[in-house]
Amino acid sequence: MSIVGKTATSGKFRRNRWLLTGVLSLYFLYTFMPLFYVITAATKSNPDLFSTFGLWFAPDFNLWDNLHTLFTIQDGIFLKWMGNTAYYSSISAAGAALFSTFAGYAFAKYSFFGKKLMFALVLGAVMIPQTALVIPMFLMLSKLGLTNTAFAVIAPSLVFPPGVFLMRAYIDDAISNELIEAGRMDGAGEVHIFSAIAFRLLMPGFTTVLILAFVANWNNYFLPLVMLNKPDMFPITVGLAQMYSTAISGTGGVLLFTVVMTGALVSIVPVIAAFLIMQRFWQGGLGAGGVKA
Amino acid sequence: MADRKNASPVTFGFGRRDFLRGAAALPLLAGLPKMASAEDTVELLVWAWTPDTAVQAEMFMKKFPNIKIKIENQGGGKPHYDKLRNAIQAGSGLPDVAQMEFNSIPSFRALQALADMGPYGANDVKDKFIDWTWAAGSDGDAVYSIPWDSGPMGSIYRDDIYAANGLTPAKTWDEFAESAMKLAKDKPGTYLTNFVGASDAGWLGSQLWQIGARPFHVNGEEIHIEINSQKAKDLLNYWQKLVDAKAVDTTPGWTTEWFAGMDEGKYATWIAAAWSPIVMQQSMKKSFGLWRAAPMPMWEAGKNVTSNWGGSTFSAFTTSQHLAEATQFAVFMGSDPEAARLWNTKQFLFPVLKELAADADLMGNAFEFYGNQPVNQVFAESLSQVDPTFEFAPFQDYADQILTDALAKAIGGAGTMADALDGVQDAVVTYAQDQGFTVV
Amino acid sequence: MTERALRAQPRNRVIVSKTVAPYLFLAPFMLLFAAFLIVPLIYAFDISLYKKAMVGGVKFVGADNYVKAFTDPKFWEGVGVLFKFAFLQIPVMIGTALVFALILDSGVVWAKSFFRVSFFIPYAVPAVIATLIWSYLYGPAYGPIGQTARSLGFEAPDFVSAKWILASIANIAQWEYMGYNMIIYFAALQAIPTDLEEASVVDGASAFAYATRIKLPMIVPTIIVTVVFSIIGSLQLFTEPFLIQNMARSIINSNYTPNYYAYTLTFVGQQPNYAAAISFLLGGVIAIVSYAFMLLANRRIDR
Repeated sequence: MSIVGKTATSGKFRRNRWLLTGVLSLYFLYTFMPLFYVITAATKSNPDLFSTFGLWFAPDFNLWDNLHTLFTIQDGIFLKWMGNTAYYSSISAAGAALFSTFAGYAFAKYSFFGKKLMFALVLGAVMIPQTALVIPMFLMLSKLGLTNTAFAVIAPSLVFPPGVFLMRAYIDDAISNELIEAGRMDGAGEVHIFSAIAFRLLMPGFTTVLILAFVANWNNYFLPLVMLNKPDMFPITVGLAQMYSTAISGTGGVLLFTVVMTGALVSIVPVIAAFLIMQRFWQGGLGAGGVKA
Repeated sequence: MADRKNASPVTFGFGRRDFLRGAAALPLLAGLPKMASAEDTVELLVWAWTPDTAVQAEMFMKKFPNIKIKIENQGGGKPHYDKLRNAIQAGSGLPDVAQMEFNSIPSFRALQALADMGPYGANDVKDKFIDWTWAAGSDGDAVYSIPWDSGPMGSIYRDDIYAANGLTPAKTWDEFAESAMKLAKDKPGTYLTNFVGASDAGWLGSQLWQIGARPFHVNGEEIHIEINSQKAKDLLNYWQKLVDAKAVDTTPGWTTEWFAGMDEGKYATWIAAAWSPIVMQQSMKKSFGLWRAAPMPMWEAGKNVTSNWGGSTFSAFTTSQHLAEATQFAVFMGSDPEAARLWNTKQFLFPVLKELAADADLMGNAFEFYGNQPVNQVFAESLSQVDPTFEFAPFQDYADQILTDALAKAIGGAGTMADALDGVQDAVVTYAQDQGFTVV
Repeated sequence: MTERALRAQPRNRVIVSKTVAPYLFLAPFMLLFAAFLIVPLIYAFDISLYKKAMVGGVKFVGADNYVKAFTDPKFWEGVGVLFKFAFLQIPVMIGTALVFALILDSGVVWAKSFFRVSFFIPYAVPAVIATLIWSYLYGPAYGPIGQTARSLGFEAPDFVSAKWILASIANIAQWEYMGYNMIIYFAALQAIPTDLEEASVVDGASAFAYATRIKLPMIVPTIIVTVVFSIIGSLQLFTEPFLIQNMARSIINSNYTPNYYAYTLTFVGQQPNYAAAISFLLGGVIAIVSYAFMLLANRRIDR
């Protein structure tokens, strides 16, 4: 029940409704404009990108050519990038969410020796961002001969301290101690209580961390940029930036401005679609995580 | 009660061991380099960014069917060299062969990353090459890189804009300045050129080269550094005057803005290298065919000294398991007359072979981009006027980075570019000493 | 439920006691934590005590790199940029996110869920792609924003000039993360029990007063958490300036932010040891700032 129902008839309310909807609509235009630009840019040829108005289509519809170039350039490397991105992000996100959940559960529901110290460490780690460690980690993995491997991109991403932080807060509230005690009374073991009883209840929190970790990974640029130097292994972010740089590095490379935009379009469409389809999860999940934290 | 709970049996629901084993196997999944045995086809990994390098690689593979070339594009220029240094640092991931511009050869030699192709027969083709291009990548009989194309400078200009405004290609830099002032006054919004010296260190190098500045002289572990020489300051003062008078634009080069400006007629001239149309023809539809080439302006009338910008070589790396094949490839790319000819007519790469530079047929080739002007003649003349004494530092990229950082700041309004050189000089000297060089 | 769970339990499996269980749950995370956070930290510190030169090789230099970093204007200028960026970007982003969340929560507007979803969508676009898109849009002469402004008869600001570039980068962050924060606030607001609302309506409070005086204070803890995450995010700035550099060369140099500086030192300057010292110090700066904010915020709340 909201106040809307109670006051909807007043003139002031109607004015406000127009005004505020107008404000949000303006912000919507701002949000939408760059996305619309990607769409128009993806349908143009390079010369047209420069000589026609950016926010509308050029007479010469070039989308199919761009798509063809995108998927055939360097033996179809873009498809590999898409596969790599899916591979790195899904494994990292699943692992990060799972391990965060285990750890969060331990912090929330047990008292044990070293708990305070370990949680302080995790909290501290939330504040030391991974990017500050990327260069040292690169140098370290170089010594071990592990750069240029999927491992170098995935393993560091499995550590997701904010996830532990959020899961601890979430589990504190979502799972009552009585429930766990009841499970113990029934003779269930600790791992069994977790997997058969607790996990279902902490699903919303788990989903939150899963989404956060997935986006963090799909978004990641610095880590793979530094860790990988085989184009076959790049994720989309590093690959597209590399493609873009052939045009701007001042050394007579291939100009792929519109192909880069086509690649951007092709790669964000599935993720946006997934977000739209899974609305229920992230709207509930993110909220839950945020509120409880 | 608690005790009873503690004693409860439990299932260990998920396979922790399996998971750990999976995690440990991850690095193996990533693929280790495949060992090739003698009878196998050898695969060479090549990093190159010049458009359609694959065409020439195809020609090579036809001639040497047991060598397979795999080309990867790491972005060209800085991103390409960043990745090379990354691979050297990491000790893994270096290609067999990489495209390498003349100005980067000393840097990678200093890292001891470049293989000597001399023992594999590279010297057999030595005499075919224009002397200074060969000398840039070799040291006596040691051959660290084999030239592929050169970048003699010229004046690339818009015929239509020149004609409409009564301009002719400037013979000297003084004339150039006059024309710039005139055009800015006659036709506001159109510039004779866009000064990219603060964003494009390679281009700036070509200008320093022409005016006679010699920022570096290397002799083993001794290095002479003179970035803030009078000649360098003269050059920057010349441009500073035009920038301050708003007679030239200062949009950073190689941006979408700059490409658009060239095509839309915002800029009438680009003082550039022979290979420049390789990028121009990809982005310019309106102005295609309207461009012409003329000799670059001279500092002293009658005394024709030009310079070189870019131009590439191929280098092989010490880590390569196939140095003989790598040498074969680099030699072919640089010296096969048929391939070199195609590259010139199709992609504007200017030859480094004596024979081709003197080939009347090739030099007379008409280019559509240039309204069928036989521009090779212009660039051949320029190539013959290049003063080959210019040297690059063994840390050229870093020096360039410091230099452009400082000049860009000055262009942004903080002091003059010439004054900025003093700070760059200090910073680079400190850096060189820090890296163990003796600065003399 | 527990009964059924119990029955489903197979026999003869590993028994985990209550004392061992927490360590078992923590093990995977803590092991990875040690391997990819603690060890690199120690490693960074270790190599930061050495120096590798092109001529002369590696030698131990003790605290030299730190002494150098402490007096290196390039590092501190970068830290300065981070602070400016954070002060510019976070308040605007958090402010708009709060206002929009309150508007959506109040139910005054049409098409609530449409706005909610569409504002969140940019969160799905990676920073690399967002930066590429915006850098096309920012072009002063040929970018669509400039073109539109000109056709309407006025000049848009030069987004990539020294004066505007930080705001332009902040705008990219605003575009990407505003919706994400808004969703969090919205959910927090929705979770506030409705009986409070009814009470206030009875009291005759206006919708506006109700939103700002009663609802807003209730989600302060949520706001603090999002601010901390925003601070941490802002201070890592790398991708946006790295990719937009060539358009704004006069202001974005190769040490524009500390992360950028470390990258340049490692892959252009051949000074990985010094880069490690810079990374180590940056980690320290970020930890101190976010910790200080938490302390400050908590003290305010306690009062």
